[in-house]
Amino acid sequence: MKRMLFLLWLSALLAVGIIGTDSGTAGAAGAQTDLSRQAFVILEKNCFSCHGQARTSELDLRSGEAVLKGGINGKVVIPGNPGASRLILFVTHQEKPVMPPTGRLSETEVDTLRKWIAAGAPFDGFAPVGDGKEEPPLAIKPFSSVEQGYWAFQSPRRVDPPPVGDQSWSGNPVDRFLYASMAARGIKPSAPADRRTLIRRATLDVTGLLPTPQEVEAFVSDRRPDAWERLVDRLLASPHYGERWARHWLDVVRYADSGGFEFDIDRPEGWRYRDYVVKAMNDDKPYDQFVREQLAGDEYAPDTSDAMIATGFLRLGPDGEDRGERARQDALDDVITTTSLTFMGMTVGCARCHDHKFDPIRQADFYRIQAVFSPAQPLDYPVVPPAVVTAHKAEVARLDGLLKPLKSTRRELEAPYVKILIEEQVAGLPEYMQIAWRTPEAERTAGQKLTVQQIRKVLEIDRQAHRFSEKEMIGRMSATDKQRHEELTAQIKDLESKKPKPFATTRAISEKSRVASPTWFLHRGNVESRGPAMDPGTLSVLGDFKFPEPPANATSTWRRRGLAEWLTRRDNPLTARVMVNRIWQHHFGEGIVRTPSNFGKLGEPPSHPELLDWLALEFIDRGWSIKQMHRLLLTSQAYRMRSDDVAASVEIDPENRLFWRMPRVRLEAEVIRDLILDAAGNLNRSVGGPCVYPYIDPKLFQSSTKRTWPGVPDDDPSTWRRSLYVYSKRSIRYPLFETFDQPNLINSCERRNRSTIAPQALLMMNNNFIIFEAGKFAERLKAEAGDNAVAQVELAFRLALGRGPTQFERERATGFIQTTTNGLAEFCQLIFNLNEFLYRQ
Amino acid sequence: MKPINHLSRRDLLGRLGGGIAGMAFADLLGQEGLLAQTPSDPINPLAPRQQHFPAKAKAVISIFCYGGVSQVDTFDHKPMLLKRQGEAMTGVGEIMPFMGTPGGLMPSPWQFRKHGQSGIEISDLFPHVAGHADDLAVIRSMTALSPAHGPAIFQMSTGSILPGHPSVGSWVTYGLGSENQNLPGFIVFTDYRGGPINGAPNWGNGYMPAAFQGTPFRDSGDPIVDLHPPKGRTPEQQQKWLRLLRELNEKHREQNPEDTELSARIHSYELAFRMQTHASDAIDISRESEATQRLYGVGEKPTDYFARQAIMARRLVERGVRYVQIFSGGGNFDPSWDAHWDLKGNHGLHCTEIDKPIAGLIKDLKSRGLFDSTIILWHGEFGRMPISERMDGRDHNAHGFSVWLAGGGIKGGTVVGATDDFGYRAVENKKSIYELHATILHLLGLDYDRLTYRFNGRNMRLTDVHGRVIKEVLA
Repeated sequence: MKRMLFLLWLSALLAVGIIGTDSGTAGAAGAQTDLSRQAFVILEKNCFSCHGQARTSELDLRSGEAVLKGGINGKVVIPGNPGASRLILFVTHQEKPVMPPTGRLSETEVDTLRKWIAAGAPFDGFAPVGDGKEEPPLAIKPFSSVEQGYWAFQSPRRVDPPPVGDQSWSGNPVDRFLYASMAARGIKPSAPADRRTLIRRATLDVTGLLPTPQEVEAFVSDRRPDAWERLVDRLLASPHYGERWARHWLDVVRYADSGGFEFDIDRPEGWRYRDYVVKAMNDDKPYDQFVREQLAGDEYAPDTSDAMIATGFLRLGPDGEDRGERARQDALDDVITTTSLTFMGMTVGCARCHDHKFDPIRQADFYRIQAVFSPAQPLDYPVVPPAVVTAHKAEVARLDGLLKPLKSTRRELEAPYVKILIEEQVAGLPEYMQIAWRTPEAERTAGQKLTVQQIRKVLEIDRQAHRFSEKEMIGRMSATDKQRHEELTAQIKDLESKKPKPFATTRAISEKSRVASPTWFLHRGNVESRGPAMDPGTLSVLGDFKFPEPPANATSTWRRRGLAEWLTRRDNPLTARVMVNRIWQHHFGEGIVRTPSNFGKLGEPPSHPELLDWLALEFIDRGWSIKQMHRLLLTSQAYRMRSDDVAASVEIDPENRLFWRMPRVRLEAEVIRDLILDAAGNLNRSVGGPCVYPYIDPKLFQSSTKRTWPGVPDDDPSTWRRSLYVYSKRSIRYPLFETFDQPNLINSCERRNRSTIAPQALLMMNNNFIIFEAGKFAERLKAEAGDNAVAQVELAFRLALGRGPTQFERERATGFIQTTTNGLAEFCQLIFNLNEFLYRQ
Repeated sequence: MKPINHLSRRDLLGRLGGGIAGMAFADLLGQEGLLAQTPSDPINPLAPRQQHFPAKAKAVISIFCYGGVSQVDTFDHKPMLLKRQGEAMTGVGEIMPFMGTPGGLMPSPWQFRKHGQSGIEISDLFPHVAGHADDLAVIRSMTALSPAHGPAIFQMSTGSILPGHPSVGSWVTYGLGSENQNLPGFIVFTDYRGGPINGAPNWGNGYMPAAFQGTPFRDSGDPIVDLHPPKGRTPEQQQKWLRLLRELNEKHREQNPEDTELSARIHSYELAFRMQTHASDAIDISRESEATQRLYGVGEKPTDYFARQAIMARRLVERGVRYVQIFSGGGNFDPSWDAHWDLKGNHGLHCTEIDKPIAGLIKDLKSRGLFDSTIILWHGEFGRMPISERMDGRDHNAHGFSVWLAGGGIKGGTVVGATDDFGYRAVENKKSIYELHATILHLLGLDYDRLTYRFNGRNMRLTDVHGRVIKEVLA
C-alpha cells in the first residue's frame, strides 16, 4: 500500500506542473487572430525550448510553415481536425511520447489548442521568428581595471623565497617566506615541539589515527638525521592517509549517502564515489586528473569505471522533490555553486539573479556555466560487468512475458466481484455523489463527471486499500473462481519471486548527444523571464575560452570537458591556489586564505600572497601531486613549532596570522570517534566498502516512510570501523557527529565550525558508545598491563596521549581507580574527555 | 569574561556565528547589514543578547500541524462549498491537484460559528480554541511555495524550500541567545506517532554552529538523549569523576592560560551537569496541580499526549527557553494531518487532540502573566483543497491557507486577508511565509533585515531577500 501510494505520489508529481504558473491564456475565444495568438503563447511557453530553435526531432513549432511541415515522424497538426492532430494526442497523453515530457498543459490550454486547430489552425497571431539571432544581445557590464586587477585573477607569480639568516629556517622555502614575514613584524617563530607532540600531530593530521606507543618510542629514540622525513614518508604511504584526506574533500563536495527531503532516498552504492576519493588520495592521483574525472569523467574515459564513478560528484547534492523548471534550475544552481566553490574558490551561485555584488562575476557567467552543465543527464551506472546487465535484462523480460497473460486472466476473473464491491461502496457515499454515479454518462454535469472519474480511480483502477479490501473480494467468490484465483496468484507470486534482484548501479553522469539543447539567460533568475540563448563559458573576467569541439562520433557536447580543461590549464589563476590553500589549512589550522572556498572580495585576502603563489606554481610543477605538497609542508620547521602561548607573540599577532606557532585545534567529530575506537583497541582498520550503521536512539529518527536506520548495538563488531564508513543519511544524523560540528551534508563546507557546547559534554559523559568503548579500553589495559593500577594508568596515557603520566596524574588516576566502583572503566572514559585527547596540538 | 585576544577571528566566526565576524567584514567594506548587537560570549554562545529594538515577546511556542491543515474546515468558512457541492470548481485559475484526479467541490462536514466580540468564524473542530477567538490574529491568506510536503515543511521551518538552512528557532536563539543557560535554548517535541518527514534538518542549525540547533525532547524518561549516566553510576560517582576531569584538564591548561577555548570546554561540563537536573525538572509535569493538568486535558484520552507537551512547553518558556516547537502529527498520511481521504476521521481526531490543550495553554499563560511575553504560533506547511480527493479527502493546496498567532505583541481578534469564494487561492492581502517569519522576528525585537549570518560568501537571512512585517497583526 505504502509503495503504491508512493508511486502514485511520484506519478502525480510527474503528471502535474508542480510549479504554479497562472495561465494567462485562458479567456473567451475572440477573433481568429486572438485564438491564433493564444495558441502561439501556449506553444511558446511549453514547447519552444525543444521545438523551437533546437528543433528536437526536427520539429519546429515557431512558424506556420514549420508547424504544417511537422517533424521527423510526420505531421503533428491537421488543420480543422484536432482529433487526428498528434499534437493534441501528445498533450492529452493519449499517445506517447507525452508532451511536454514533464508537466502537463492545463485543460484550458488544451482546449485552446483544440479550438485553434478546429478553426483551421490560423497563423496570423504567430509572432515572426527567425533563427533566434535577432534576440537583443545582453548588455554585459564591461570589467573595470580594478576588477581585472583583483589579486585572485592574476596568474601566480614566482617570487624567490627571501634569504633568511637563521640556519634552521633557511632550508625549506616555506620557512623562508614565513620567517621573513615574522621578522618584519618583530616576531620570532615558536620553538620546535618535542618529538612526542610531533609524532602525534603528524599521525593525526596525515592518517587521523593515534600513533602506537611503539611508534612513538621508535621515533623518539631515532637518532638518524632524517628521522622526521622517514616518519612523514611512512605516514603518507599509509592507506589511512587516503581515508583522512578523503573526509576533507567530502566536506567540500557535501557528500552524503541519501537524497534528503521527504523520502530521503538511500544511495546504497554512493560509497563508490567515497572510495574513489580515498583511492585517488592514496594513489596520489594528480589533482588535475582528479578535477577532470569528477567534472567530465564520462567525456574523458567512458570505459573506465573510476572515471564514471567520479562523475558522481555532479550528483552528490540533495534530490529535490519538486518538479518543473524552477526545480531544475535549483538543481543546476546547486551544481554550479558547489563546483565553483570547490574548484575555483568563487561564489558563482551569487550571480544567479543579478551580477555578483562584489566580485566581477556577471549574471551572464552564471548562465554560461549553466550551459556547461545543462546537457548532463543522470546515469545509473552499473557497477557489475556488462554481461551481468544483459543477462539480467533478458531474464526480467522473459518473466514479464510469462506474467502478462496470467495477470490479465486474473483481472478478468475478478471483474464481476469488483463490480459488486464498488456498488456497495458507492451506496455509502454522500447523496450528491451517488446521484452523479447513477446519472447516465451523457447527462452528467462537469462536476458529476469529476466525481465519477474519482470514484472510478479509487475503486476500479487503483483499488485503494483503505476502500477496497482484496480479502473481502476473494471472500465473495464462488468456490471454483476462488480456487482458480488462488492458483493464478500462486503462479504470479512464484514468477515474481524468480525475478533476479536489480543489479547495483551508482549515480553517474552522461550525455545523449553532441548537440546541446539551448539554455537561456534568465532575467532576475526567473524561469518565466527568458533572455537570449547562452553559449557555454567560464568566468569571463579571465578572458575568452574556446570550448573544444567534440569529434563527429561523440555522444556528448564536451562542454564539461571544456570547463575541466580550462580549470586545469597552467595559467588558470584559481585552481592550484585554491587546492594548495586547502592542503595548507588542514596542516596549519587555518588557510593562507582563511576563507578557502571564497577567494573573492568577501573572502579574506591571503596573509602570505607570495607564499601562496609559490606553492601554487610548485604544485603544478610537481605534476599536481598532493602528496608532494604534504611532504613539503610537513618537513618545514613551521609545521614543527610548539603550540603553547608565547606572550610576546600573542601581543603582536593574537590571531596567529603569521603562523608563528602551530595552533591547537579541536579534532573533528569523526576523528574523535576513531581515536576512541583506536585507543580502546577495537578499531577495524580495513579500508573501503559499504557503509556501517552504528546505533542511534530511535527517538531521534522516529517516523515512517523510508526513514529508517538499521542501527546495530555498540557491541556489534560490524560498527567498529572508521567514521568515514558510517552511513551519512541526510535526515538522520549520527548524534556524535552532529554535536561535534560535522557539516550538515547539504552545503559545501570549506572549514568546519569548532563549537564548544554542553551537549558535547553530555554525550561524552553518558552516551552508550563512549561508555562501551571505555569498557573495551579497560579490558585492553587489563590484558596488556595486568591488574596493577599504576601500570594501567601508564599504558592508558601512552596509548591515548602518546606519553607517560606526570607524577601528579599518576597519583590522582591510580587513587581514583582504586577508590571507585568500576574505577578502571570510569578512568578510561575520563581519558576520552581530556582536552589533551580531544585536541591536536 | 576572559580576554578573547587569543581567539582568532575565524574561531569567533566558527564558534559564535559568522554574523559577528560578518560584521567585521562588513565594516571593512562599508556595507549595509550589520547585526546591531554586541558580540556574544565566546564561552557561551547562548548567553542572552540584546534585541535590535524593544519588544514584548521573549519566547515562541510554535505548534506545527504537520501534513497540512484544511483551512476550509477550520478557520476559513466558505458557504459556497455547500451551496455548490459536487460542482466543478471554476473561475479560480488553473487547478493543480497534487495527487491528480480532482473531484467536485466538497462541503465541510463541520459547522462554523462566530466567536467572541470579534466574531471570528471558527468551525466546531476547535470549540475550546474558539473560546479565545479574541486573542487570535488569524491570517487567512497565507501562501507557500511548494505543494509537496518535503519542500513545504522546509520552507515553514527554515524559510527555504531547499534543505541546508537554519530553522526559525536557530535564528531566534542566534539572535537573542537564551535566558536559561541550564537548558537548551531551542527545544523540539515530536508526535507520539513519529517525527515529521525531512527529519532533524527541520530543526537543524544549517550552516550555523551546533549551539543553535534544536534539541529534541522526549516526552517521558530522560528528556534529552544521553542526559543521564547509565544505571549504576550514582550522582556522587559522577561528581567525583567530574572533579578529577577538571583537575587534569586544569593542569593541562596551565601551559596555555590564555586559551579561552580550553576553559570553555572545562566550563561546558559544569553546564552539562546542571542541565541534568534542570532538564528533568522542566518536563516533570507531576509538579503541576491537578487543576492545571485538567485544564490542558491531561488524563483524557485523545488530548493526553499533546496536553503534556503543552504543559512542558509552558514550563520551559517559564524557565527562559527561547523557542519551543511542538509537532502535531507524525509519519505519513493517517498519523499526520495529511487527509487525502477520510477528512472527517483525520481532522476530527487531530483537532480534538490539540484543541483543549491549546486553549489550556493560552489560559495558563495568561494566569501566570506569561501570555504577553510569549508568541503562540499555529500552522501547517500548507492548506488543503476545497474539492474532494478520493471521494472524502482533500488534496494539498499551497495557494491559500490559514495560520494564527496569539500572545506577546499581537493584536487579538484580528483577521488578515481572504481567499476566493471556495477557499482555494489567497486573493486579498496575500501573505508569504517570509512575511510570517519577518513578523515573528519583529515581535521578538529582531530586525529580519539586519539579522544576518555570513556563509559561503553571502550574508544569509531567515527571509532571504524577501519579507515584510505583517503590520496588521501587531498590537
